[in-house]
Order: sequence, then C-alpha cells, then structure tokens
Amino acid sequence: MTATSLPRPRGVGRLRGRTIVKHLILAGVAIVIAFPFYWMLSTATKSFFEATTFPPTLFPQELHFENFATAWGDAPWRTFFTNTGIIMVIGTIGELVTSILAAYAFARLEFKGKGFLFLLFLATYMVPAEATVIPNFVLVTKYLHLGNTLQAQIIPFLASVFSIFLLRQHFKSIPNELHDAAKVDGAGHLRFLWTVVLPLSIPVLVTVTLITGLKFYDAFQWPLLVTNSDAVRPVQIGMAQFRTEFGAQYHLEMAAATFVIAPVVLIFLFAQRYLIQGVARTGIRG
Amino acid sequence: MRLKVAILAAVMVVATACSGAAAPAPAQSTQADIDLSGQPIALTLWHTQTGVNAAALQAMVDRFNSTNGKGITVTLQYQGSYTQLYQKNLSAIQAGALPELAVAYESFVADYMKADVVLNLDPYLNSAKNGLSKESQADIYKPYFDTNRFPQFGNQLLSFPFTKSLLLMYTNDDILKEIGKSAPKTWDEFEATAAAAVKKGADGKTTRYGWAVTIGASTFNGWVLSRGGTLMSADQKTVAWDQQPAIDAVTMMKRMIDNGSAYTPKGFDYQTDFGTAKVAFVQESSTGRPFFVSSFKQPINWSLTSIPQKDPAKAATVQYGANVAIFKSTPEKQLASWLFVKWFADAAQTAEWAVKSSYMPVRKTAGDTDTLKNAWKTDVQGKQAFDQIGSSVPEPNVRGQQDIRTVIEDLLNAVVAGKVTDIAAGVKAAGVKANQILKDNQ
Amino acid sequence: MSRPAVGAARRRRILAENLLAYAFLLPAFLVLLVFHFLPGFAAIYMSLFRWDIVQGPFRGLDNYATVLVGSRSEEFWHSLSVSLTYTLITVPIELVVSLVLAYLLFQKMRGRGIYRTLYYLPYITSAIAAAVIFNWLMNPNYGLFNSLLELVGIGPQKWLDEPRGLFELIFGSFGVTVPGWAQGPSLALVGVSLFTIWKFVGFQVVLFLAGLGNISSEYYEAARLDGASERQIFTKITLPLLSPTTFFVATIGTIGSLTAFNQIYAMTNGGPLDTTKNLAYEIFHVFFQQGRIDLGATMAILLALLILGFTQFQFRVVERRVHYV
Repeated sequence: MTATSLPRPRGVGRLRGRTIVKHLILAGVAIVIAFPFYWMLSTATKSFFEATTFPPTLFPQELHFENFATAWGDAPWRTFFTNTGIIMVIGTIGELVTSILAAYAFARLEFKGKGFLFLLFLATYMVPAEATVIPNFVLVTKYLHLGNTLQAQIIPFLASVFSIFLLRQHFKSIPNELHDAAKVDGAGHLRFLWTVVLPLSIPVLVTVTLITGLKFYDAFQWPLLVTNSDAVRPVQIGMAQFRTEFGAQYHLEMAAATFVIAPVVLIFLFAQRYLIQGVARTGIRG
Repeated sequence: MRLKVAILAAVMVVATACSGAAAPAPAQSTQADIDLSGQPIALTLWHTQTGVNAAALQAMVDRFNSTNGKGITVTLQYQGSYTQLYQKNLSAIQAGALPELAVAYESFVADYMKADVVLNLDPYLNSAKNGLSKESQADIYKPYFDTNRFPQFGNQLLSFPFTKSLLLMYTNDDILKEIGKSAPKTWDEFEATAAAAVKKGADGKTTRYGWAVTIGASTFNGWVLSRGGTLMSADQKTVAWDQQPAIDAVTMMKRMIDNGSAYTPKGFDYQTDFGTAKVAFVQESSTGRPFFVSSFKQPINWSLTSIPQKDPAKAATVQYGANVAIFKSTPEKQLASWLFVKWFADAAQTAEWAVKSSYMPVRKTAGDTDTLKNAWKTDVQGKQAFDQIGSSVPEPNVRGQQDIRTVIEDLLNAVVAGKVTDIAAGVKAAGVKANQILKDNQ
Repeated sequence: MSRPAVGAARRRRILAENLLAYAFLLPAFLVLLVFHFLPGFAAIYMSLFRWDIVQGPFRGLDNYATVLVGSRSEEFWHSLSVSLTYTLITVPIELVVSLVLAYLLFQKMRGRGIYRTLYYLPYITSAIAAAVIFNWLMNPNYGLFNSLLELVGIGPQKWLDEPRGLFELIFGSFGVTVPGWAQGPSLALVGVSLFTIWKFVGFQVVLFLAGLGNISSEYYEAARLDGASERQIFTKITLPLLSPTTFFVATIGTIGSLTAFNQIYAMTNGGPLDTTKNLAYEIFHVFFQQGRIDLGATMAILLALLILGFTQFQFRVVERRVHYV
C-alpha cells in the first residue's frame, strides 16, 4: 500500500497549508469517531447521580472505579467470558483446520469434480443467514439435541467459505518448485502442508484466525436463539441482558460495555496489521 | 389439523356444558391423583426475574428442593425479558423442547394453546388428594383466578398466579404539600393538580412536571377501566376499549403533554425523575417500589394511591403481573410441577415472595403473616398496594392480545408524536385493527 | 518397464490423490451441507405450508401471495421500504466519507497509522456493546447529543424514541408543516444510521486504501508529466481506476444494510411506530414473536432472493479483486 503515493503539489508553503487542512479534517473525524469510547469510559467512572444530570459533565467530578466491580458482580460475567472463550478457541481452531484442508485440496490437489465442488462451496455463501436460521434452529435443537449447549454455538460455524477462499489464494501462490523438492525428499501432501505450506502462510493464517475469532466473539443472534441458561451464554448476550435488567443504571451499563469491548480493542492494537490487511483482502463486513 | 381443532372445540363445548356456571367439576382427575414414587423428578422453570428477585426465588426453590420429600428438583433458568421468554417458548414448541414450567402472561398462554401444549390445571386444583381445599381456593384473590381462566378454551384454568401486581399512582406527597393540594381522586382533580405541580426555571424551562406518562398498553387499559370502560365484549370476539373512556383518556394525555404538565420519559428514567422530585405523579406497577426508592437522592415522602377514577367509590385499575403455566409432559412431571406451584402459593411462601420481590401476595391471609406485617412497617406503600388488590381487573387473555397491545401502544405513540390528531378516529381505527387481529386468530 | 504397469501406477496415484482431496474437503463440506444447504431447502419447504406455531396443511404459493399482496403485504412493503431507506442513507454517506478519508490518508504523512487505527476501532467493536453506548449518547434526558444540540440552540430531541421524520422536525421547528411524503426518515432511523456510519466508515477506509494501493504509480507520473492538476488527477485517474473498489464497497455495504439486525435489535427493537423495523427485523418478529413460521420463512426467502441478486453482483467483483491483491 505504501509503494505508491499521490503526486505532491509544488511549493513548500502551499504544501504546509494543505497539510494542516488535511490534518484538521483527519483529526476532526478521529475525534468524532473516538469520542463515544471516551464517553463510555467517562460515564463508567461517574456516580449514578452524576451520570444522570443534564447537561452532562465532560469529566467525572470524582472517579468511581468501583463501578466496574459493581457491574462485574451484577451478572455472571465470569461464566459469559468463559463460555465465549471456549467457543472462540474451539471454534477458531476447528474452522482453521477445516479451512486449511479444504483450501489445500482446492489449491494444490487434482481431483474429479473440482470445478463443480468449488462452485458448490461458493454457492453456500450466497444462501443468506436469514433464510437458514429458522430451519437451523429446528435442526440443532430438535434433531441434534444440541439446544442450550456450547456445541450448538460452535459446530454450525466450523466451516467458512471466506476462510477457505482466502487461504486457497495464498496456497496457490506458493511456488511448485518447493513441492517438487519436498516430493524428492519423500514427503507426502500432509507433510508438505505441515512443514512447508503452513510456515510460509503465517501472516494469512493470523488474519484468518483473527477474523474468525472476532466472528465468534461478536456472535449474538444465533446464541440468543439456541441458549436458554446463563451457564452456556456468551458475552454478547450478557451485554444485551445487562441492559434490560438494570434499567436506568447507565454508569453500570457503560462499565459493562467497557469490559466487553476492551479485550477486542487490546488484541486489535497488537495485531492490527494482520486484521486490517486481511479485511482489505476479503471484504467481510460484520 | 382442522379435525384436531374441531374435536378439541367439541370437547370444550361439552366440558363447558357439563361444568356449567359452577366451579368446574373435578372431572378426568386420575392423573392429578396419582402418587409420586419418590424417584427423582427434575423440573425446569423458565422465568424473567433478575437481581434481588432472582436470588430470592433461587433461595425459595432451593428450600422446596430440599424439603419436598418427593424427589422433586426444580431448576431455574433465566430467559431475559418477557418478550424473550415468549420467543423462547415459541421456538421450544418447534423443537419439542419445552421446559416443564414457564412464567407467562395470559396472552402468551393463549398463543401456546395453538399447539395445545398447556396443561389444564382444574383437575389438579380440585384433586382431593393433591389439590386445594375450597377454603384455600377462596383465600386466593378472585381476580387472580379470573385472569387465568380462558373463555376461549372452555374456561379452563391454564396458568396460576405467580408475580402479581397492579397499576397504581406514585405520588410525591412533598410536592402536594408544597402546592397545597390533596391526592387527586378523580381525573379532573388529577389534571388540575398535575398542572399546579409544574415548576419552571428562570429561563422558562420546565424543571418539574406534574405527570410522567409511561406509554404502555396496560396503562392504557387501566385508564379505560378507571373511567368505567371495559376491555372486551362479553363474547370475547371484539374489543370494547375503543369507546368514549379511551377517547377521553387519550385526549387528556395529549392535552397535558401539550400544555406542559406532562411528558413522556424514556425507559426507566421516570424512576430517577421521581426520585429527584422532577415529577409529582407516575402511574406504574406497584412492583417498581424498590427501584423508585433506590433513585431517591434525598428522602421523599410519597405514597401509592389509586390511579384517578371516574367514580372513586367503584375504583378499578389494571391487574399486572405474570403467571406460571405448566406444559404437558409425563403425569409424574405434571403433578410434580403442580405441587411446586401449589407450594409457592401457600401463605408462608407467597408472603415471603411478596416481601423479597415487592410483588403482591396471591392470598388474603398472607396479610396476617408476621413476615408481611413486619415488612410493612418500613414498606408503607406495600400495604397501600395490598389494600387495593381487590380493585384490580385482569387484562384480556385471548389469542392475539400480544399484537393488540402493539396496536394500542402504536396509537399512543402516534398521538404523542402528533401523527394522529383526530383522537376519536384514531381510537376507533385502532379498535378496527384489533378486531381484525382477533378475527385472524379465531 | 511395460506401459500397462506405468498406467496402473499412475492410476493408483491419481486415485490416491482423489481420495486425499475428498478426505480434505469432507469436514468443511459436511458443515456447509448440513448448516447451509439443507436449511435453505427446508426454509422453502416451510414457506409452502400453513405453519402457525404448528405445521398445517399445504398451501402452495399462498404465503407468497399473503406477503406480497395479501393481508401481510402492508407490513412487508413497509419493512422493505425501511430497509431501502436505511440503505440509501448509510451507503452513500459511508462511501463518500470513507473515500475522502482514504484519499487524504493515502499520502505519506505523520500520524497516518494512528488515524487509521482510530478509524478502524468502531468496526472491531462488538455491535451490541457499541449500540449500548449510542443509546446512552442519544438518551433524551441525559444524553450528550441533546446537550450538544443545546449548545447550538436546538431543543432536546427524543432520538431513538422519535417516530417523526427528520424533515418534519426541521421544518416543524420553523412552524412549517410538511406533507407526508416529504417528512423523511424518522429521527430514530437517522439515529440508527448515524451509528451504522460510525461503525463502518473505518472499515471502508481500509478497503479504499487497498484499492488506492493497487493503482500503479505510472499513471500518476504520466499525468504529472502532462501537467495535470491534482483535481484532474483525482477525477480522471483515481476515481475511474478505483471504480472496482468503489463498486465492491457499495455492494457489500448494501448487503450489510439490507441484513442489518443487531443494531436494530439493540437500539430500537424496530420502534418507534415501526419506523426502524426493517425486513430482517420483521422476519425475526414474524417468526419469533408471532410464531408464524410460514410467513417468516416466506419473507426470508424473498429477502434471500433480493440479496442473491446483490451477491451475484458482488462475487464477480470479489473474484477480480482477490486475483490482484
């Protein structure tokens, strides 16, 4: 992305003026975009009465960090986070495995019906969730007897056409010579995949992992349908529930929102390079 | 399917004819009279309680589990709001995965009956072995039975009172004292008092309102009842609220909003507004008491009075709150579920539940228990509410009532937003819509 | 070595490779088959019966008639119009804003990474938690938005509780009554749209940055040699060469808007007065709140067809894009 850049106008003075204007626009937008996060933190540390005064105060008059503890204690967050953690880890690993295998088959193996199967895989992407959620629900609860379980939140998402697609593109770009060399060494496909392809694909694997993890972390509508008890509910349901349960306790709502948002933001700050590039490649929109 | 419905209808007609106007005879009660073998029976109850209430309910259920002596274990499962609980049940019917018990509004039960999954409680109630005696039945408030008998389904008792409350008026007595008025008894007095309670700041902005209008179908129903109206026609085929009482009530609401003595708060903000003396009156469920109190910035003198009436001598308000329904399962589980429901409605339990949850007890004699008497020493308003249970009237329990509630709320919101200006026509149009819903659900 | 032996060995190898490929594809294929394909057909099946909580008699295409022209048509077309309005508000604004931001960000400058990170933050924020924040910002009594309005002398608004149209409110404040067709989207829908724009602009900036990166610098150099102004370069080179990206961004934006559910659920529940009840929410409502499996499935199929059209569109572009990334 940095390989090219737009032409620079001549004249240093003009350049400086333009740069200032540009920064003003960019910074203005950045403030608007970041402000809701600040507002969340600000409200989260106010007292109930300070949170419900109008006009609101920009900075808390006194900091009430105990709000986080109160909000944490008001709902079984530990359970919610544990559930989300399990779903995320197993779901992401599972999706990685199925996607890597399928992507390798499409990228590097020759077999009968390859073109047809690839089209079939792509076609599943075109069946929108709106049409399948109802039958899926009946399938999962009535026939698979997985209602109200963590499995129900993992298994249906163990394959992703987008992950397969993204990995396939990358696997295809690995030079054939490497495979030939491996064959000479007597390596089969599995070993070639494990010892050559995967180590060469670390960045794209990180991208797929992050996008998949985010998908599991944000899951909401499906868990809302298939779970009945807090024991198996994920974080997002906890968040939505917290809101309806605790009425006008805005400061606690914001405290809860803070710890729901924080893990993702932290991971993002460390791994943004992969995430941003990956999304640019696939164009997945939440 | 049609055949099934026809047979069901025929059975119900016969059943109704046989039972007549008197209390339903203890017919087909063999299943209600069985003995439990003592084998472990696991039951699941879906509910909507949170926070303190959920903890109290859990403690009571734990006690039932350890003391029932019949191997019954009830597990509580929180399902979110009532709407979410209703959705859950509809989905569970699809999947054949219903719990044994679920908290339900009357209109929910009517919808579940489309799939014929709700257990008729009459045989259990009247079982000589496992039921309630005549005296015990008479001790439970009649409106609480009325609301759980479904005319559409042969007057069967399909659910049992669980979390009951009533629409009352939260009144700030300090404000009344300040403006030299007494608690308004009629709607005309109310309008004048609310107007007198309005205070404006130096900049002309309102700093205190008379009334926080909480838009809701139940509130609306309360207005209609208090003005001498009724909610359903006698044959349950059409609504009856689309008449003058509703037109008067909605017109008054709009007038008071327009002249600045009332406003419509968001969400639960009316509690905070009342707690910070920004409003004199709120008409809400009696159960909100602790939430109001927790938002008091300074102590406030307040009371729970009847909502204003057309004729205070014949006061009527709306009965709020949910019930518990038992779904058809095995005879053992059904009986075990009933035993839990019955236990929960005992005077001791209903009094304990009333104190901990702020709901109303379902029995008159609960008022004689030390549990409630002691609690009322500090919860004065709880006693005020208890004394008015007799004036509470059930809301319709017909199929389609859920959608009708939306029609009513849409009407109120449209009036507030100025989208409907001819209120009489708007009320009539809403009535037509509601009647169409009833027809579609026949 | 005789030829048949070679053939047999080769056939064995081909067979082995075939089997290996099928084994590799099997796990993903099973999941897709069971949770995507079969349910898709099941939804079509459900839409052909009367299915009011419990399955009833076969009705052929009657449910489609009920939804498109019959007793449910009013709700269906209303919710579809909400979906389209919402799309028409959010997609163009997102597109223009993100294109401008990406264009400004594309040049080497200080703080570029920080801007990009900040812009991107809302996109990775969970929709539910973010919606909770916006609900709070738009609270009619204590919200920040109202205090900002107050600073510029505008009275408090009810935001997500306000069913009145945007233009109706604006003109109404000058005492002008606007006719029904000109009232505009409800303030509640505008509120949800603001949230959506906030959430997705940064994501689209990243897409546009990738698109800009794919334009060869040779074009710019040639244009500069010809003495083209920066505006000319933007309109004559950047925009046309960026058009596949723009098209792609618009398409996925449209699909995202048409299927938007979480923000509606968390912010308005379809209210006030159904002014934010889009088709995705209506399907949820009909199925899960009214128990009408038949009509819910019917509407879902109709929405699926609509999206299928857009997806077809999108896929051609994705195919092209992925090849040159």
